[in-house]
Amino acid sequence: MPLNAVEIEGLGKTFPTPSGLSRFAVIKSLSLRIQRGTFASIVGPSGCGKSTLLNIIAGIEPHDLGHVRIIPQDGTNAAARIGYVFQSPRLLNWLSVEDNIKFALEAQTIDRGRWDERVQKYLEMVGLSGQELNYPLKLSGGMQQRVAIARALAIEPDILLMDEPFSHLDEITARKMRVDLMHILEHAQPTILFVTHSLREAVFLSEEVYMMSVKPARIFKHLRVDIPRPREPEDPRLFDLEKGLVKEFFAVLERDQQ
Amino acid sequence: MTKYTLLRLVSIISFLALWRLGSELSSPKILPGPVAIGETIIENFVTPGPEGKTAWFHIGITLARILVTFSIAMLAGITIGLIMGLRRRVELAVGYLIPVALTIPTLLAVFLCVLWFGFSESGGLFAVVLTVTPFVTVNMLAGSKALDKELIDMAQAFKAKRSLLIRKVLIWQLMPYIFSAFRYAFGMTWKIVALAETFGLKFGIGYMFTFWFEQFNMVQVMAWIILFVALMLILEHGLIARVEERVFAWRPVHAL
Repeated sequence: MPLNAVEIEGLGKTFPTPSGLSRFAVIKSLSLRIQRGTFASIVGPSGCGKSTLLNIIAGIEPHDLGHVRIIPQDGTNAAARIGYVFQSPRLLNWLSVEDNIKFALEAQTIDRGRWDERVQKYLEMVGLSGQELNYPLKLSGGMQQRVAIARALAIEPDILLMDEPFSHLDEITARKMRVDLMHILEHAQPTILFVTHSLREAVFLSEEVYMMSVKPARIFKHLRVDIPRPREPEDPRLFDLEKGLVKEFFAVLERDQQ
Repeated sequence: MTKYTLLRLVSIISFLALWRLGSELSSPKILPGPVAIGETIIENFVTPGPEGKTAWFHIGITLARILVTFSIAMLAGITIGLIMGLRRRVELAVGYLIPVALTIPTLLAVFLCVLWFGFSESGGLFAVVLTVTPFVTVNMLAGSKALDKELIDMAQAFKAKRSLLIRKVLIWQLMPYIFSAFRYAFGMTWKIVALAETFGLKFGIGYMFTFWFEQFNMVQVMAWIILFVALMLILEHGLIARVEERVFAWRPVHAL
């Protein structure tokens, strides 16, 4: 029996309507299990509540119904470590690259004696060795996002949440980042929950793809991508999978609108 | 750079020449020349004047008063401003007091404190704190409204404790506001300290203005004014600007 890293049961979340008089459901009875060490993606259109879901898992936003459980890798009852990579890097621009990573390590109360080793290891992993003392605003957007990825990996999270992390980058940079992320995962095998609106990105990166519909968000399709890694972005099998999913997605959208 | 230095040098020399000319055309009693003033300033440092004190003593007293009142006003303003900015209830409850405090004329605040405390040290210093604090508060209130919610969320996602959040996330975002408050409050503080010294406090540069004013000694009045201005310029540009440069080292330098 494979171990789960995340278990979500009957999750419900409502927001007040603009008038404030009633509430509408953003997420309705959503259940999801992610096995340890898996790269899982959630694909859905913009505004379907994907980010809200991640924020709930991260504990930044409260939810109304159901429960979310993150199971620590070491099997202890310690609080689970959650790494988060946002759409924009969200770095602390007044701290050096190194201190940005140490910020996360300090927040997670990781032993100070291990900070330097972690910083070195994960900066090297994202290809930014030598940038330790640089300030974020001196780096390009792609490099800033790499720092954000190193920051999230450095805490060696039980779950790594990624919220469209490449959507703010130009396509060439984004493409390189996706390939690099794939290589990074050969060294570190965190459990990843990756949110995107791009089916192509999802099938290229993930082992599991979950498709989400809009308002209220629910998962209507689960797909395993059995193509071994590392994958080539131009792999025709990926295109076939993507085509099939697009077709299915529009069918559901039309059904929902009726 | 050298072009500007030269330009500035020419400007300063022309100014001194005009001053000299004005002094010659009127009379040294109305407008003393730059040489007389310079000599008087040096003289004040070397030989004890009234009350048997040299200029060093008065400068020291004035600086100490500025330091004490300025520190208290900054600390109080930052604390009050942040509490108001982060706790909506507090802002709703006492926010209206800020415009009231800002409106009270400085001179009136000094008079009021003289009435309350007499011509005492604490009265004068209290007036300074009373007038400067609201300005700092307003700045901090604005700063706390401009905090980046995304960064706070990031810190929370990584489970940062409150003290870490304040030290590494909030304070730095507030820095531009703290510095603008710092500059403004500093400028206000030395003006009001000088005012309070002029009106009642014993010793200090402002006290010397009054002393020589009552003797109708134009040379001394001007000598003290120039000394005061020079001192504050050194503090502003030499000290505050340096600190600011260091704190904002992370910002990329934009070519203007």
